[in-house]
Amino acid sequence: MTLTLGHYLFLGSGLFIIGIFGALTRRSVIGILMSIELIFNAANVNLAAFNRFLHPDGVTGQAFALFIMTVAAAEVVVGLALVLAIYRSRDKIYMEDINIMRG
Amino acid sequence: MELPLLSLITFIPLMGALAVLCVPKENRRVLEALSLTAAAIPFALTVWLYFAFDRSTAAMQFVERHAWISTDAVRIDYYLGVDGLSAPLVILTTLMSLIALIASLGIKERFKEYCFWFLILEVGMLGVFESLDFFLFYVFWEITLVPMYFLIGIWGGPQKEYAAIKFFLYTLAGSVFMLLGILALYFKADPHTFDMLQLMKIHGSLSFRFQVLAFLAFYFGFAIKVPAFPFHTWLPLAHVEAPTAISVILAAVLLKMGVYGIMRVNYPMLPLGFEWFLPYLVIIAVINIVYGALCAMAQNDMKKMVAYSSINHMGYCLLAIAGASATGFAGAAFQMINHGIITGALFLLVGVIYDRAHTRDIGAFGGLAAKVPVYAGLMSLSCFASLGLPGMAGFVSEFLCFLGAFPRWKIYAAISVIGIIVTAAFFLRMIEKVFLGPLNNKWADLPDMNARELLSVVPLAVLMIVLGIWPRWALDMMNTTMVGLAGLFR
Amino acid sequence: MIEYVWLVPLLPLAASLIILFVGRESDHSPMPYVGIAAIGAGLWISLRVIFDGAVGAAVLPFEKDWSWYSFAADLGGRAFIFDMRAGVLIDGAAAVMLAVVCLVSLLVQVYSLGYMHGDTRFKRYFAYISFFTASMLGLVVSNNLIVTFACWELVGVSSYLLIGFWFEQKAPPYAGKKAFITTKLGDLGFFLALLLTFTYAGTYNIVRLKEAVAMGYLPPVVLTFIGLGLLAGAAGKSAQAPLFIWLPDAMEGPTPVSALIHAAPMVAAGLYLVARVYFIYLASPAAMEAVAWVGLATAFLAGTMALVPYDIKRVLAFSTVSQLGFMMCALGVGGYTAGLFHLTTHAFFKALLFLCAGSVIHAVHTNDMRSMGGLSKRMPVTFLTMAVGSLALAGIPPFAGFFSKDLILEKVFEHSHLMFAVLVFTACLTAFYTFRMLFLTFLGDGRDHDRVAHAEESGSVMTVPLLILAALAVVSGWLFEHGHAFASFVGNGGAAEAAAEAAGHGTQAAAGHALNPMVLAVGLTAAAVLLILLAYSLYGGPDLSRAARIKERFLPVFNVLENRWGFDAFFLFLVDASDRLAVLCRWLDTEVIDRIFVDGWGLICRVFAEISHLFDALFVDQAVDGCGYVSRDVAGRGLRSLVARGQVQEYLLYLAVGVSLFAILNK
Repeated sequence: MTLTLGHYLFLGSGLFIIGIFGALTRRSVIGILMSIELIFNAANVNLAAFNRFLHPDGVTGQAFALFIMTVAAAEVVVGLALVLAIYRSRDKIYMEDINIMRG
Repeated sequence: MELPLLSLITFIPLMGALAVLCVPKENRRVLEALSLTAAAIPFALTVWLYFAFDRSTAAMQFVERHAWISTDAVRIDYYLGVDGLSAPLVILTTLMSLIALIASLGIKERFKEYCFWFLILEVGMLGVFESLDFFLFYVFWEITLVPMYFLIGIWGGPQKEYAAIKFFLYTLAGSVFMLLGILALYFKADPHTFDMLQLMKIHGSLSFRFQVLAFLAFYFGFAIKVPAFPFHTWLPLAHVEAPTAISVILAAVLLKMGVYGIMRVNYPMLPLGFEWFLPYLVIIAVINIVYGALCAMAQNDMKKMVAYSSINHMGYCLLAIAGASATGFAGAAFQMINHGIITGALFLLVGVIYDRAHTRDIGAFGGLAAKVPVYAGLMSLSCFASLGLPGMAGFVSEFLCFLGAFPRWKIYAAISVIGIIVTAAFFLRMIEKVFLGPLNNKWADLPDMNARELLSVVPLAVLMIVLGIWPRWALDMMNTTMVGLAGLFR
Repeated sequence: MIEYVWLVPLLPLAASLIILFVGRESDHSPMPYVGIAAIGAGLWISLRVIFDGAVGAAVLPFEKDWSWYSFAADLGGRAFIFDMRAGVLIDGAAAVMLAVVCLVSLLVQVYSLGYMHGDTRFKRYFAYISFFTASMLGLVVSNNLIVTFACWELVGVSSYLLIGFWFEQKAPPYAGKKAFITTKLGDLGFFLALLLTFTYAGTYNIVRLKEAVAMGYLPPVVLTFIGLGLLAGAAGKSAQAPLFIWLPDAMEGPTPVSALIHAAPMVAAGLYLVARVYFIYLASPAAMEAVAWVGLATAFLAGTMALVPYDIKRVLAFSTVSQLGFMMCALGVGGYTAGLFHLTTHAFFKALLFLCAGSVIHAVHTNDMRSMGGLSKRMPVTFLTMAVGSLALAGIPPFAGFFSKDLILEKVFEHSHLMFAVLVFTACLTAFYTFRMLFLTFLGDGRDHDRVAHAEESGSVMTVPLLILAALAVVSGWLFEHGHAFASFVGNGGAAEAAAEAAGHGTQAAAGHALNPMVLAVGLTAAAVLLILLAYSLYGGPDLSRAARIKERFLPVFNVLENRWGFDAFFLFLVDASDRLAVLCRWLDTEVIDRIFVDGWGLICRVFAEISHLFDALFVDQAVDGCGYVSRDVAGRGLRSLVARGQVQEYLLYLAVGVSLFAILNK
């Protein structure tokens, strides 16, 4: 059996759905951040797969995947910093308790 | 690469102004030196321009042209050049700026800001005379307004705010109409262009109606600056309230922008409109001459009197232009220079006595000639020059103005000569009341002029006489251009 | 020598600048000698010119010019650069005038050394005099009407300075101003004539202009207007009716200045101008006739006015005006030589009379003849020289005035008998008022003993010029052999007169009305002597009561004469009217024009601004507020409480749903 583009896309969409589900349902902020990482990785899989199968000569997709990893790392840092800040000031970590953005 | 002479002349004052901003305001000596240098270098350069100027051609010289704002839709050039009409005015501007700056060294309050605004003003004035691109022209035209507003509004007399706002709004109203005219010409030209020399060539394709409307738009803008009757009333007020040096600049240079505009824009670009307007222009000129002189005669304030005499003298320019002849144009161009020099000197001298006596009321003095002979001599000399005494600069240009207008408007010219005698009458009356007769003891210890004042007035006095005896030095610069100008539509 | 004639005006000019700027003001300043040396050199050159011209060593007219400046001009529909040339043109008349001006100026300057001694502005006085002389000489030599006009105005200015020389008093500055403005009024005519000249002839060169006139380039009506314009200028400068009002006031200046203004230089300028462009008048009979009538009116009016004043200088002033009228009239009837001849002789004896008057005033410190009397013993030289001058003025042979006045009357007789009658009457008046003045001053008793008793004869620096001038007043008539030699030297004069005849002037002479010169001479002399005797009987003795009785009898006439026929009042009225007009203009300017065109403009803007403001407040702003209200209070509050609960996961859900919807709907 050879791996086709379809397999990779299936994997990617699987990761994405898990990530979305997690992000929407987890109560803990940490969990949400982890789910978002999954979504990123789903996109990374897609990028690498498309690059490999549609434009095998170039490395643009892989390069973007690398960028996304870097950006994701930075994002997690910022996100965790925010979580820490909120935890320190409010002593809370569950999402339903944090509603300072209420209109 | 050729030296960009005109750019240097124009922007050295700007650099000076920026440099002035960097100097702490306590450092008065440095400020003085810096601003004087920034005004003196352009003057030195214009002296060079005077000698390098080719008197045998009517074409633009020292041309600099670079694309400035260039897109598919518009093309605006940084386009400078001078001919026999504008070069003398550029020289006049740098000279009068230097002299006015020397005269303003006596300013005590907020000297740094004064220098800054003054130098910016010089940039604007020079730019107006040098620009050959309408957009650039308009930009410089408006640049002159702002410094003038502050210079009158901050350093002026008792009614300074009112005078400044009146001056600003009124001239701005005029220039808005001018902008309309510029845009109208721009859109009529095919391809659209702001190039003034190009626009002078399209008049064949402009309808009479369009030319009349565009003429009126431009005329409105320029007539306020000239100032032509009935748009002249801002002038006495602005003059009276402005500080001495600014009055000098106002009379010597700013008024010239109006006449220059009429000769540079209205006549060559809109000949049909010009022709249509001539009968009205000559009437306006006559009113300016006779009415201005009569108003001057009724004034008790020396400065106001000189201001109204400016209206009278600019009337000669208008009369000459109305003649639409080479002589007339030469007369108008020369009269602009002479009026700048003579009236500049008169304002300086009025300032001198105001600084000492704190009054400008003609009736308040008497017999000063015995007390301040140098001052009396210079003042009388300037008055005689202003009333058109032969042997002084004013006569040659006044005569050329009349000579230019006479073949076409004999009756009007004959009426206008009344202005000459009224001018003589009010200047002589002023001399008599202020300098002659028994000495008014109130002024028994009035000091004569000091070195700084002499330094600012004497060069002008010398010029008055030199240009009167040997007018060739000025006229030769203009003649070829004026012949070309008059020959445009023959 | 004649090629250096341009130096004649330039030397005094240089001298005046040197005197003005070099050295300090002091009584013993050597500077005046610079001026005297300059004018002396000028006199020498001009005498050499006359001599060379007379013996034929130099060809007259002599012309030489240089490029002065050029200006853009257009003639005949073509624009070009016109080369304005300036230079000298010396014909016989110019040569004679040069010599006369130089001579009178030289003598006046020498005389002034004594007269002005001790004045606070001694040096400046001489600078002014030199400047005045320079401009007058420039006027004489110039071959270009523009330069002539320029010098003409400079003459006006320097006379303004000189008349108002003692400016610490009230009257001299006023008189100077009056002189300047009045002459300037006439100059407007000159100015317009210049404009016409260039427009039609295209040149200011007098020789070219003459050619143009001869070729008929100028239409007759234009020539007439040019002639009248120049006449107006001449009337101002030469104090002709009705512009003579400035001359009596000009007596406020130092007396030598009066001599200078009234003898040769200034007042002669107008006549000289008319003579210089005589060809214009010859080509325009109407202008010529106007010249004659103006001259006649002046001669008569001024002659009558000279009868009444007690100010010795005013008598002389009016007599000058009257004599100028004679000359002008002579020119107007075609008596070119007669006019110039009288101009020359008059220059000598009138300068003499003024300087004598100055000498008297210097001695008694007053101008009023009522305070004089009996001075003949105290001041014999002055008395004798003044008597010579008076005889010359009255036209008694063999003094100079006799010959020249005779010539004029002959010419006038040929032209019109009415004019002749008026002029003869005026000539008789001349004899009367001249001797009235002489007798009042020198004969009878000293009416003011303090003054008369202390009067002393002036020093030699003053009396020597008097003697020289007296000698000239005696011989100048003979020197010129009854004017015949003068006529042949003035040269083109003969030609001018011939042309005048051809142009129709003096046609009456052809009809056999020519006057026998002997009859005229004898008759005139007899009349003059009679009137002198009458004057003696009235003013010669110590008893003046008869004169006073006559004055009372004819008081209304005296009043008219003392009021100068109302001319002064008329001009004062003009001045007053123009002042009122000026005030009206000022009012108009500040109250009407300013209100309409500036404040009115502002008002319109304000009205529009108010309207826009109202519109803005009512509609535009309300619309904005309305939008805000709807979005905040109506839609906002409800929607917000529904969806924006601050739950990030909810927001994420909306995002996911939205994106999914897009994905689905995009099919």
